[in-house]
Amino acid sequence: MNSIATTSPPAEPAAAQPHLGLRARLTRHPELFTLALLLLTCAGVGAINPRFFQLATLFDLLHSATTTGLFACGALVVLASGGIDVSFMAIAALVMYSVTKAVFAWWPEMPFALILLVGALGGTLLGLLNGLAVHTLRAPSLIVTIGTQYLYRGILLTFVGTMFFMNIPPSMDRFGRTALLHYQTSDGLRAVLPVSVLALVVGAALTWWLLKRTMMGRGVYAMGGSLVIAERLGYRLRAIHLFVFGYAGLLAGVAGILHVSNNRLANPFDLVGTELDVIAAVILGGARITGGTGTVWGTLLGVMLVTLINQVLILVNVPTTLQKVIVGIFILIAGTLFAFVRRR
Amino acid sequence: MKTAMTPASSAPQPFLQIVGVHKRFTGVHALRGVNLQFQRGQIYHLLGENGCGKSTLIKIIAGAQPPDEGYLVVDGTRYEQLSALQALSAGIETVYQDLSLLPNMSVVENIGLTSELAQHDGRLARTFDRRALGALAAKALREVGLPADAEFQSTLIELLPLATRQLIAIARGIASEAKFVIMDEPTASLTQKEVDNLIRVLNGLRSKGVTVLFVSHKLDECYAIGGEVIILRDGQTMSQGPIENYTKAQISELMTGRKLSNERYRNSETSGEIIFEAAQLGRKGQFREVSFTLRSGEILGVTGLLDSGRNELARALAGVAPADSGTLRLRGETIRLRSPIDAIRYRIGYVPEDRLSEGLFLDKPILDNVIAAVISRLRGRTGQLDRARARQLAEQTVADLQIATPDIGKPVQSLSGGNQQRVLIGRWLAISPAILILHGPTVGVDVGSKDTIYRIMQSLSQQGISILLISDDLPELLQNCDRILLMKKGRLADQFDARQVTEADLYHALLSEAA
Repeated sequence: MNSIATTSPPAEPAAAQPHLGLRARLTRHPELFTLALLLLTCAGVGAINPRFFQLATLFDLLHSATTTGLFACGALVVLASGGIDVSFMAIAALVMYSVTKAVFAWWPEMPFALILLVGALGGTLLGLLNGLAVHTLRAPSLIVTIGTQYLYRGILLTFVGTMFFMNIPPSMDRFGRTALLHYQTSDGLRAVLPVSVLALVVGAALTWWLLKRTMMGRGVYAMGGSLVIAERLGYRLRAIHLFVFGYAGLLAGVAGILHVSNNRLANPFDLVGTELDVIAAVILGGARITGGTGTVWGTLLGVMLVTLINQVLILVNVPTTLQKVIVGIFILIAGTLFAFVRRR
Repeated sequence: MKTAMTPASSAPQPFLQIVGVHKRFTGVHALRGVNLQFQRGQIYHLLGENGCGKSTLIKIIAGAQPPDEGYLVVDGTRYEQLSALQALSAGIETVYQDLSLLPNMSVVENIGLTSELAQHDGRLARTFDRRALGALAAKALREVGLPADAEFQSTLIELLPLATRQLIAIARGIASEAKFVIMDEPTASLTQKEVDNLIRVLNGLRSKGVTVLFVSHKLDECYAIGGEVIILRDGQTMSQGPIENYTKAQISELMTGRKLSNERYRNSETSGEIIFEAAQLGRKGQFREVSFTLRSGEILGVTGLLDSGRNELARALAGVAPADSGTLRLRGETIRLRSPIDAIRYRIGYVPEDRLSEGLFLDKPILDNVIAAVISRLRGRTGQLDRARARQLAEQTVADLQIATPDIGKPVQSLSGGNQQRVLIGRWLAISPAILILHGPTVGVDVGSKDTIYRIMQSLSQQGISILLISDDLPELLQNCDRILLMKKGRLADQFDARQVTEADLYHALLSEAA
């Protein structure tokens, strides 16, 4: 290992930590930039269409962000550990469709909490398979999860079914219709904040706690910082791999069930293909693709930003195809900026 | 597991015993039956040349590698091998040469979490006491003379300068209730004041009964610290005893011990004209004001410690990390080397130090590796690779450099280290170089291959190729060069005639403090 020689006398340790400049601050908190982009977009949309600034918009935004946010929390954990998972949508699709179909066939009156639990368990199991494969094969997680993505999707379409059904178990239907908050807007519409938003709150809080406050969470970042050093320092990589992919699977399973109950529709062709949208949101939130960084706050901001662009720009007559251009430009700006502030 | 060890004399039971440890890597017998005992509250200096087995020994004690034969006794318990976690749990802390800090995590986490892990058997499914962690880190930071406030503790490692990182790595080593601390070249980038502080810390550890294993090339520091020396050569213990019983010259001789193999490969004299000149060459923060000349057919050695800037100079001359000040002249014409492509254009070849990561495409055939630098010159009429000429070139190279392989289609990783190195040299010969920069050409190759590589160097020099040999293998420099440049702290400190200087003198000059 070569160390870099310093010809000038090294700075005194006390002087080694100058007052945090903008650059250092952005390195430490890249999500500040995400926040700025988010506010800027809001201001832009609001200036063109003042109707943007109403509670109903926020309700819409949160409603759409719920499942994306849950997926993103899982993707964040995997990215922070230095891996990447592209199979979570396939997990969600397999879980949501199989569970809905099974419940409808065998126990239509199954309580929603139990359905959610079964979905979480199913997702966790599929995720653990990812983790096991990544660890024991010592293979790049991208390759492994591309493989399992095809595998899970193929199993779903071959053995479980290809017909979508709009008759979903009543408890799922009821949950989807339950409002946490609602009010009459000025033009007489009913604006609803569905109760499923709570799942995002709980999921995000849990992810934050796991990452920040547990040894496992610290291990995730340690492994993302350097696999070799983490192993040398005594972190158990097998446990961390299993946790990371299992947890991403769990969130995917839960998000899949919520997706069905929100849309009152179980479609086996749904979700798969939108992995990159989620990963894009996490990257926009400041996580590095190379691992070891990323925060729940940043991820949530990234999800809000992407959701805003995808859902709300309609309000100012931006065609849906152009929205992709905007997301792309934002990612380019954010990506190059994050890379720039890190270069020394 | 517990085995009662009967001490040979009335001496107290040592904290750590290493018994009959062997370690082999492909082609290299790194440790050949090492037996050592480490008493509590003593400081040991592990000395030896590069490649003598120091790093391997450290890794075995730290649990990063298992021994092939032999065992360890830690605190009365016998282990056939240690895991990283077992070593930490037994109180063995290591300050690695590469520091092993996690760049993406904060100061407090780097210092505190390792001992937290070791104390709880590596269990991850638990929360941790952040306040206790902060207090632990603060204490350790103060001991090494760093600020201990919350702001500094929450700074990410990647934002800190190297010297500070080194102190943090030391702080991590002493933070927990360590019983045995290994420090692998911990002072490489520290200022004198910081070193003095470290010596104070070490004495504090010693008085608390902690054993310290200190690895450094800086003999002056070893004398200042005191304790026992252990001298390792070719994987065997040569000598052990209180440091004050040895003179520097004795230590140098025990470490190198190559009086027998001092035969010079260099037999011709160079009187060619000056073809290459560097004037006031510098690269910010790495080296400065480096001026030298190179005659055609001359072999010029460059040496220095790890932080001397020798590696950076080599990379600048290869265009990999270009110089940002000074001028270069090739046959009187001023040239600029902004990229490796520039260097190739001026026929300057660079054989990097780390052939595995910087030089060779390991899983590709020998053929592909040899032609890599001249691929654009092997174009046929349609712009495709002229396969016949490529084969001819590769077969010529294999024959010229005596590369032992049945087939140039075999991947490079099927060759031994010495043969791999020859493939890399062959690649640069393909550009018919005017100047060849060889950076540690015999690191990790066996004795026989060394001999071949030296003979190749001499024959190249006779063909008029000038060679810049960057190395920290002093006998290698003395055996092969005309002149040897010594770098210190980024500057040229001295110049020697290789025929006249002795190894001991050179070693002395290398390690003396004055720049």
